Amino acid sequence: MADPATPILELQAVAKTYAGGVEAVRGVDLSLAPGELLALTGESGCGKTTVLKMINRLEQASGGSIVFRGRDIAGVDPVQLRRQIGWVMQGDGLFPHFTVRENIAILPKLLGWDPARCELRVREMMKLVQLDVEEFGERYPHALSGGQRQRVGFARALAGNPGLVLMDEAFSALDPITRDALQQDFKRLQAELGFSAVMVTHDMAEALIMADRIAVMRNGEIVQQGTPAELLRAPAQDYVAQLLETPRRQMRAIAELDA
Amino acid sequence: MNANLAERFAELPDLLSGHVLLSVAALVVGMAISLPLGIFAAPRRHLANSVLNIASVIQTIPGLALLALMVPLLGGTIGYAPAFMALMLYSILPILRNTIVGLQGVDRGVIEAARGLGLTDRERLWQVELPLALPVIVAGLRTATVWVVGAATLATPVGAPSLGNYIFAGLQTRNWLSVIFGCLFAAGLAILLDQLIRLMEMAARERQKGLAIRVGSALMIVLMAATLPRFIELPSPAPAQVLAEGEAPARLRAQEGALQGARVRIGAKAFSEQYILADLIETVLEGEGADVERRDNLGSTIVFDALRTNEIDISIDYTGTIWATIMNRPEPIDRYAMFAEMSGWLYEQHGIVTLGRLGFENAYGFAMRADLAGELGARTLGDLAAHAHDLEVGGDAEVFTRSEWISTRDAYGLGAVSTRAMDATFMYDAVRDGQVDLISAYTTDGRIPAYDLVVLDDPLGVLPPYDAVILLSPEAAARAGLADALAPLVGAIDSTDMREANRLVDLERQTPSQAVRWLLSEIGLDEE
Repeated sequence: MADPATPILELQAVAKTYAGGVEAVRGVDLSLAPGELLALTGESGCGKTTVLKMINRLEQASGGSIVFRGRDIAGVDPVQLRRQIGWVMQGDGLFPHFTVRENIAILPKLLGWDPARCELRVREMMKLVQLDVEEFGERYPHALSGGQRQRVGFARALAGNPGLVLMDEAFSALDPITRDALQQDFKRLQAELGFSAVMVTHDMAEALIMADRIAVMRNGEIVQQGTPAELLRAPAQDYVAQLLETPRRQMRAIAELDA
Repeated sequence: MNANLAERFAELPDLLSGHVLLSVAALVVGMAISLPLGIFAAPRRHLANSVLNIASVIQTIPGLALLALMVPLLGGTIGYAPAFMALMLYSILPILRNTIVGLQGVDRGVIEAARGLGLTDRERLWQVELPLALPVIVAGLRTATVWVVGAATLATPVGAPSLGNYIFAGLQTRNWLSVIFGCLFAAGLAILLDQLIRLMEMAARERQKGLAIRVGSALMIVLMAATLPRFIELPSPAPAQVLAEGEAPARLRAQEGALQGARVRIGAKAFSEQYILADLIETVLEGEGADVERRDNLGSTIVFDALRTNEIDISIDYTGTIWATIMNRPEPIDRYAMFAEMSGWLYEQHGIVTLGRLGFENAYGFAMRADLAGELGARTLGDLAAHAHDLEVGGDAEVFTRSEWISTRDAYGLGAVSTRAMDATFMYDAVRDGQVDLISAYTTDGRIPAYDLVVLDDPLGVLPPYDAVILLSPEAAARAGLADALAPLVGAIDSTDMREANRLVDLERQTPSQAVRWLLSEIGLDEE
């Protein structure tokens, strides 16, 4: 594995200006250590999803540099880049005409793995996301619950054994109980497999519970980044303090429950 | 089985195979054009809108007009090529539109997921977008199939054999069995193909290999069974001979086999008299051993174009028609002078040889019910001028644009008469039943005496003479034996004979072949 000191992903002065001059993102510096989970949070329209999509080149950065595993991604074929980076999106983005098995196997197949190895990987992934292969393998997405679909989404993103996983509001469409269970499962998976992750969420509580570090964005810029504890202890702006207010109450409630 | 039905079934292999070959080829090529075009255009909004607009404009051209327009666009070629081109263009819109709409309708989230996972554009198209758009695309293909199989019946007037032959010929000879026969087979074919495509899509969607193989085989069997008669010689006899079973076949006294194996193509326009005469020529030539091919139901100018370009070898036309519509001569002249001048002109301009006059004249004449004529005191066209405001004249679509009607109207002061275009089949009944007062009748039509109609006199000689003539294409004229074989027909049929033969078909519901047997015996050409 890479030296823990060397970041797997590094963003420097990344900017995105759309045709017409709208500056969606400017001056974003981020660094992600191997095995780390970074949350990008902020209000809708703050630019957090744009930052995420620039990392796997679903959006092209218009300024700055993004270095993944030591290479500037501007010089990497987008398709090859995306195959090294897991992608979990809002809703689930599953292919409705593929069974669960086929959805999970798509990347291994594209990577040219032989069928036996693909099948082995599918079983491994379904076990990891706690879905029974016999029961769910041949089902189509419409025959699954929201939580089950999102589990398949994770399994699909992880099937290519990526070093980095990007998540765009991966939990927000789920009911609270399912969301909580999946958040826990995801942390467990990350601990087991050791991948790094960047998650976009508008839910500060989710960021606080899950992330190793949080970057708070506002109007296309990062206003503060640090560990959850650092943010809670010393919010850099009123805006950050305001964002933390609701989860604070929830954190207290969770702490009481834990006690 | 009655003779009419037997004759229809005997024509089926030829017409059905023509229909299937035409419509399936048009669909396959149309799909080969519109699918890639749709795939290319779908992500490009402006292009997608432009191609859809162009395809929509083509679609708004009425099918019959599109088919007819292809003939001059392809330099006067008749038959398969113009019909194929028109139907192919016709098939494009539904497939193209549904390909574009289907691809544009694929959920954006799914497309983003495919991109985010690292599918290439090509992988995304084939594995995600096309499978998800497939039901919409197949719906377009099914629409195109039903349209094209239906519209292929309109290939008949441009000289491509199709199930439309039953409909056009049946309409002209009032053989409703034939019309229904053609409709049933055309509709049945459309439904069958539509359902087979539906099952194919179901098999693809649910990935049932067994079903796909079964449906695919069924489709192949249907197509092969329908098109096989095109590629092999059927042992079954030609239609005319089927009918001859149990009756004395018409054998000709001319020396056997002068035209052994020669291929001769006869063109005919779309009315009973033409079917009878084409049948007559066919019988005569087959008696000489010729291998005769028929191109029935051609449009009036299309038949001439086809003759000029050697697409057909023989046609029957009328001096006045050539004079007015081909030579563009506004004023009629004396019938013998017209015949002489027309023959010379045809040969000099086009190399077409006028073999001779058949002996009868089938002119346009204005006919009305005898009792109404009596009431109005009308013996000549001029007598109608006083009543012009109250009169309505019915005629085929052609006549009102021709100089005959325009000259007649102007010469006899009939400018106030209102006109009503209808199919020639219906106009005799319409005047008999008083739905119109006057019709532009064909003077050899058997319904004139049968319905007690009178043809009004033309004292000013405005209406041109219409002597029926046998025309040979430049190539046919050079072929040995053809003119000799047809020579016995020159001058052989007088107006009374022709009117009776027409009456047998139009009123007695006999088939043209039956009328020909009567005619042959009447003119003494059958075996003695």
